Amino acid sequence: MKKIPFLALVVVAVLLIAGTVIAQDNSLTFMSTQFNVVEEAEKARAILAGFEGAAVEFVGSEEGPLLDLLRAEGQAGEGTVDVIGALHGTFPTLVNDDLMFDLTELLASIEEETDVNDAFVQLGRMGTEDYQYYIPWMQATYTMAAHKDALQYLPEGADVNALTWEQLAQWAQAMQEATGKPQLGFPVAGLFHRFLEGYAFPSFTGGMVTKFKSPEAAEMLRFMRDDLWPYVNPESINYDFMNEPLLSGEVLVAFDHTARLKPAFDERPEDFIAFPAPAGPAGRGYMPVVAGLGIPFTAPDPDGAEALIRFMLSPETQGAVLHDLGFYPVVSGVDTSDLPEGVAIQAAAVEAQANAEDAIPSLLPVGLGERGGEINEIFRNAFNRVVIEGQDIETVLEEEGAALQTLMDETGAACWAPDPPSEGACQVE
Amino acid sequence: MKKIGLTPYLLLLPSLIYLLLFFAYPMVQSLQLALRREGQYLHLRAEAKEEAAPTGTVAMQTDVTVLDRVRGEELLPNGRTRPVYWFLVEGPDTSGVPVQGWVSQRDVFIESRTESTTARVVNGEATQEWTLDYVRRMVTDFRFGNALATSVLLIVLILPLQFILAIVMALVLQSQIRGSTVFLYIYAIPLGISDLASGILWYSIFTQRGFLNSFLVSTGLLDQPFIFIQAGNQGWMIAAIVLAEVWRATSIVMVIVVSGLQAVSRDVIEAGEVFGANLWQRLRYIILPMLKPSLQVALILRTILAFQVFAVVVAITGGNVITVLANETYRWYDPARFNNPNVAAVYAGFIMLLSLGISFFYLRAVRSQEEATRAT
Repeated sequence: MKKIPFLALVVVAVLLIAGTVIAQDNSLTFMSTQFNVVEEAEKARAILAGFEGAAVEFVGSEEGPLLDLLRAEGQAGEGTVDVIGALHGTFPTLVNDDLMFDLTELLASIEEETDVNDAFVQLGRMGTEDYQYYIPWMQATYTMAAHKDALQYLPEGADVNALTWEQLAQWAQAMQEATGKPQLGFPVAGLFHRFLEGYAFPSFTGGMVTKFKSPEAAEMLRFMRDDLWPYVNPESINYDFMNEPLLSGEVLVAFDHTARLKPAFDERPEDFIAFPAPAGPAGRGYMPVVAGLGIPFTAPDPDGAEALIRFMLSPETQGAVLHDLGFYPVVSGVDTSDLPEGVAIQAAAVEAQANAEDAIPSLLPVGLGERGGEINEIFRNAFNRVVIEGQDIETVLEEEGAALQTLMDETGAACWAPDPPSEGACQVE
Repeated sequence: MKKIGLTPYLLLLPSLIYLLLFFAYPMVQSLQLALRREGQYLHLRAEAKEEAAPTGTVAMQTDVTVLDRVRGEELLPNGRTRPVYWFLVEGPDTSGVPVQGWVSQRDVFIESRTESTTARVVNGEATQEWTLDYVRRMVTDFRFGNALATSVLLIVLILPLQFILAIVMALVLQSQIRGSTVFLYIYAIPLGISDLASGILWYSIFTQRGFLNSFLVSTGLLDQPFIFIQAGNQGWMIAAIVLAEVWRATSIVMVIVVSGLQAVSRDVIEAGEVFGANLWQRLRYIILPMLKPSLQVALILRTILAFQVFAVVVAITGGNVITVLANETYRWYDPARFNNPNVAAVYAGFIMLLSLGISFFYLRAVRSQEEATRAT
């Protein structure tokens, strides 16, 4: 068991006192690591105001404080938070400390009315067979975005909605030759590791962990180094949110998380298009990101919490979240006819990417627990060493592959999609 | 002999307590973090109870066979019940001998609590042991060498520049020429700016659409903005960091030098003038030697701070291509990245050792010179 920081205990004490005050007027507390920015929180509160069961107190939080609070509440045996909303990657710690209710029955009753995405339901079981730690809440992913001015440089015969990596490289080269400067950008200071894990490696190798040091992976790194990176804006090493260089005109084409591209589409929907990530020899790797809703054992009002989750999963609420906040539904039957222009453009690209014939859904790492960040550094190291520092590909893949295997062995994590399921720890071939 | 009572010690006590509480204690904690590994071992129990006698000890990630299970229930304050499972498991103990005993659900990962016949041990009681694993991990990390080299390079480039500039600036202020107070205000501006802010400021100068490129393009010196900040051109990034650091931190050196200059008595300088020393000779043989104690303080301060440079580097270069020791410390500590406070603590300890070593060296170097002059 982790030691609880003193500060967290103070926070719990304060919240418990505050909680007794709140509990009197029968309200629910919904703590979320998503929408913790002021503008988003306001929109989330507006959506939650439509919940009829009780008044909902929406508390935005960072991941760390949320985990500390729930752990401290778990130790105190009594809590203030009824529902938590967090990314998939936040849940392993909660699972490890055994803090969450099993929501299998709630999910079954929700699925009587609404169909919830099976892959995400599976993720919500956190590797077990019969314990639903969270119910999928909403999803996002990563796509490409381009300024319409860039389209004239597309290579002959290329369909922007079904690009290959070769074509993207040719496109980037054409743009550089025509405009005199590199026009393709990647968020290397941002969520670039997801690009490597969910897009680059799966597209070329068909796997993420198992094929990490395969000849196909070496070919991918060679392609990145020789064919693509020379035409990538070198300032990419400093890009975090790609909407900024897109809007300022520093780049014409970019890859990033849908939420991080969204401001560009909100601000100037007439200027930008969104399209699926390119495909490689093995297919079109893409990474869905899922956030889930869970109920801690210490929830003051579990019945209210269940009703709130049911409300969040209704097609109407899911539609409102897409409309106002740009996160995509996890249930079927959501009305998408009346979306703001920018959201509609992105939604079409997300759908095209997920439904592409050659799509390879590549999930966020599963089962690494608190060491989830380490795999990101391993993928980034491999890329940095080869593409930016020019080190020998085979040596780098061998060394980083060994680090990856150690991580898998020490956490005992089994393979996740797109790698085939494994007995025991996932093996780097 | 004058008798010294308790009073001086009592007066020292508050600062001593402060130092122990806020420096020594965290330092020891951080060294522990760097050199001690939290191992975990799980004790198997004779019965399905926490307090039951242990029957054996297994290591983390051991695969065990589930032989039996009991389901208990715990009543929660909110009125619900929570199922609490105990499993009778068999597996190899820490020396490989098979042992049997009960474990609680929270200590194992099991696919199905009601059906699975195997489980994996994931939790247990913490044990501590000394280890050099984290140190090894730091030293073998391919970024460690880069970070150390860049940190040292920055010190070698920044410090001489800063000291020359600071002395010139201090002399300008000291000269009492008309308008020298204006210079004081201009020099003092960076003192009030945080290192992150100055990093962002200089980033906005050097970026693709920054002030420098706008200027060069609008005056026709360049046709296209030149990309200063790029991996293929690390020299420019280093130059940008050096400029930002020199701009930001020179004035603190200047303040120390000014106060040192004020201690140089005018009589001595005038005596030099009487003997016909020109400006350079007065500077070289009178002012600089008398400034030595202030320069020593400034040197120690600046070197220690230079090993901690972080925000400027991250703001200007993103911290992925050019890296320094403090950036690596954060990379290992950051929950979103390595999430490994142990290796971060090794880095912190390493920076501390470097700072201590250098301060010691400076103190020794200057003192031995003084002793040498005294001896002659």
